[in-house]
Amino acid sequence: MSLDLTFIGQIVVFLTLVYLMRKHLYGPMAELMDARSKKIADGLAAADAGKEALANAELEIADQLKEARAKAVEIIAASEKRAAELLEEAVGKARNDAQGIVDSAREEVTAELNRARQTLRSEVADIAMMAAERVVEAELDASRHAALVDGIVSKGFGNA
Amino acid sequence: MDLAETSHGEGGIAGHLHYWTLKIDESNPFMQIHLDTMLVSIVVASGLFIFALWLKNRLVEGAPSGAQNFMESVVGFIDQTVSDNFPVHNPLIAPLAFTVFVFIALINSIDILPAFLIGNVAGLFGVEHFRPVPTNDLNLPAAMAVSVFALVLYYEFKLKPVHFMKSLVMEPFTNLVPVYLKPIVMPINLILKVVEEIAKPLSLSFRLFGNMFAGEVIFLLIAFLLLGGGAIGMAAGFFVGLAWTIFHLFIGLLQAFIFMILTVVYLSIAHQPAEH
Repeated sequence: MSLDLTFIGQIVVFLTLVYLMRKHLYGPMAELMDARSKKIADGLAAADAGKEALANAELEIADQLKEARAKAVEIIAASEKRAAELLEEAVGKARNDAQGIVDSAREEVTAELNRARQTLRSEVADIAMMAAERVVEAELDASRHAALVDGIVSKGFGNA
Repeated sequence: MDLAETSHGEGGIAGHLHYWTLKIDESNPFMQIHLDTMLVSIVVASGLFIFALWLKNRLVEGAPSGAQNFMESVVGFIDQTVSDNFPVHNPLIAPLAFTVFVFIALINSIDILPAFLIGNVAGLFGVEHFRPVPTNDLNLPAAMAVSVFALVLYYEFKLKPVHFMKSLVMEPFTNLVPVYLKPIVMPINLILKVVEEIAKPLSLSFRLFGNMFAGEVIFLLIAFLLLGGGAIGMAAGFFVGLAWTIFHLFIGLLQAFIFMILTVVYLSIAHQPAEH
């Protein structure tokens, strides 16, 4: 139970084993595990970065949507305004046209009326002349009293 | 414990506590070598080395499985223990602690073999005495403890030589006495400090040796006490031996852990920055 040469031998065995374990078992495994932890950490970091990028992209999308919506509202407002303008223009033009038609019709009616009045006047004059001829056939000379009859007729039909 | 093997027992327990010894110089008790201790420890070490070479070539960086998975949990555990205790990084400490733990745990596990099995097998080859568990031989724990102690001293001198030399003569009493008494207490301090330091490898080696040796003796006691009890004694011996085997396996693992953690602690004390 006392120390002897085995002690020296065991020191050699132990130190050799420490060296071999370090070189062939612990070293490679620790290296491997470090590499793996680094890989996992990198992966997690990449996942975080991806998440952040996604959040940023979503924010951007929301911004762009908002902008597009605002633009659409603007466009709709502008087109409604333009439509109202067009309508107004059309209504104005139609009103003008109608006025023109009414005016020309009125002029035509006036001209027709004047013409009719003229015709009527001359016819009434003729009729009156005939009537007067018949009434005063013998004693009245048509040519002598034409001026007198015309004066009566124009007085009588002056407002027709 | 296989009780069929115990029939071999004659000459009491002490008869089973001899080593297979090669005496180089009969007059000098130091000049002898325990061939059984050397043989088993070299076999275990070689086995570990071959396992290391085998595993090294099939290490995968992806998800580990099987042996690699198991070894990774051991390595991770040791790594955690070392980094918890160490203020600085020293690439030698973790492999050292790993070797201490695995080597002692493996050697202690040899105890699950029936107590006389390997001895009897060795007997077939004409070997009179054979102790299968090298941790039962003080030489192995002492060799490891002294190696660790030498490393501790090396780091003490390398990392903080002045502080260490000062602590040898200035602690623990110097600050308690007047200046003119300091030269008187210095030798006392030195003696106390030397005792304190020597106690480290002593306690480290004797703790492991004592535990494993006592476990072996209890195996032998169980075997010899119950051997005379006939069938009942043998049956009882089987169960008592089984229970003790399980418990002893636990002790072996525990002692490996304690040796490992104390190695780390002693070395970490040597690495602590000197406070001024």
